[in-house]
Amino acid sequence: MFKVAGALLVIVAAGALGLLVAGSYARRPQELRALQSALSLLETEIVYAATPLTEALEQVARRSESCVSGLFARAHAGLASRTGSTAQEAWERALNEYYPNSYLRPDDLAVLQGVGKILGASDRQDQAKHLRLACERLRTQNLKAEEEARRNVRLWRYLGLFAGLAIVLILV
Amino acid sequence: MVYMGQLTEVRPGHRLREEVIGFFPTTIRALLGQLPASAWSVLEEVRLRVHKPLILSRAGGETMLTGEGLPTGDPGRAYRVSEEDVVRTVELVTGSSLYAVEDELRQGFVTVPGGHRVGLCGRAVVEGGRVRTLKYLTGVNFRISREVQGVADQVLPWLIRGPRTMYNTLIISPPRCGKTTLLRDLVRQISNGVPRLGFTGLTVGVVDERSEIAGCYRGIPQRDVGLRTDVLDGCPKAEGMMLLLRALSPDVIATDEIGRREDVEALEEMLNAGVRIVATAHAASVEELGSRPVLRDLLQRHIVERFVVLEYRHGPGAVRRIIDGRNFETVEAIQCSR
Repeated sequence: MFKVAGALLVIVAAGALGLLVAGSYARRPQELRALQSALSLLETEIVYAATPLTEALEQVARRSESCVSGLFARAHAGLASRTGSTAQEAWERALNEYYPNSYLRPDDLAVLQGVGKILGASDRQDQAKHLRLACERLRTQNLKAEEEARRNVRLWRYLGLFAGLAIVLILV
Repeated sequence: MVYMGQLTEVRPGHRLREEVIGFFPTTIRALLGQLPASAWSVLEEVRLRVHKPLILSRAGGETMLTGEGLPTGDPGRAYRVSEEDVVRTVELVTGSSLYAVEDELRQGFVTVPGGHRVGLCGRAVVEGGRVRTLKYLTGVNFRISREVQGVADQVLPWLIRGPRTMYNTLIISPPRCGKTTLLRDLVRQISNGVPRLGFTGLTVGVVDERSEIAGCYRGIPQRDVGLRTDVLDGCPKAEGMMLLLRALSPDVIATDEIGRREDVEALEEMLNAGVRIVATAHAASVEELGSRPVLRDLLQRHIVERFVVLEYRHGPGAVRRIIDGRNFETVEAIQCSR
């Protein structure tokens, strides 16, 4: 009786682990897509409406998907507090808090750090150019991430389950 | 001497300090924060230039600050402004949004919440012979805008014609004499009405091209400009006057610093529509005004009925002269010891 329960437990745990890893592969493209649309929202605010950055970030935080809105909300809070920090500092602080809890890779982080360097610091044309470039780079990362996800999601799902089964078989 | 009204500074030194130091980076904030409230209440400008001493100017003089925030006259001991200081100040005054102040930057300054004007200097980026924007900003002049209620008290009796009408008025003075301060108080009193003079309030339309009169932030006046005042913020003057005339049927239109041909043409348009005008112009005297081709027209056609001339003697708005627009004779000279 205990043996069966134990075996089930092992299988479920290993399966869940596999799903978790698979999930992380699926999450990254999702997050990258959300970031792309958030950045193009920001571009619209900046280029067409010339909304001041603090307000623009707030707007983007409100309208973007929940997995990335935290980044923009933090950057907005950092700027709005008027503690004398620059847009770049506020953005980097927000990134530092956001990155560890995200599914992004160092490559993706580098693109976002690049955004911080120019944020608000030039005229509209220039802002548009840089934001579009960042979007483009995120798009290529996304293509790669999706390809990777396709390969790995199924693999890890089954891998977890079968590893669980294998362990059970060995122990029995 | 005429009746001296009660002058009230709407924001005393300590409140001004809180409001203004937020626009400076922490290094400079630490220095400015140590100035006593009394110093703040006379402070007019804070000037930052890369690698040069930090200079504060007030009515009739200037001072530098040491690294400890103490006043000094010796440039050798004064705190030197770093490149970083200027870059950060620019970030703070533009709200980290250079792109949002492009149009203002083209004119060389931006207006910040609270109505203060910040002049910026650097390298101009020219496109097709016109300044597109400024880059490599190296100089900042933070001009503190004050709101003093009651400055118009002495001149008002000369500008009011009856209970519901007034003279077309032009305030002229060199820079830093309190032109805008006087205009703002005039607008407030014309709009609210002056029971003391039996003057009921008129609807005033303000075209505030540089957000200096009403100090609008997101369109809401941060200054008291009266209860019957509509402010068109950030709009070019000539176009703004026409827009106000069509849309809001004002009795009086007020605007700052006229000088371009289209401004004068718009003013004439206002007169034809029976709207009264209150405006300001840069000039030291009426004669000087006459030497500027565009404004000469205003004089020759006797459009302006009253000139208020401000002179800088002991401080802003110290001496005022009211001149009749038909015969250019001084109607009244007001000495005020502020």
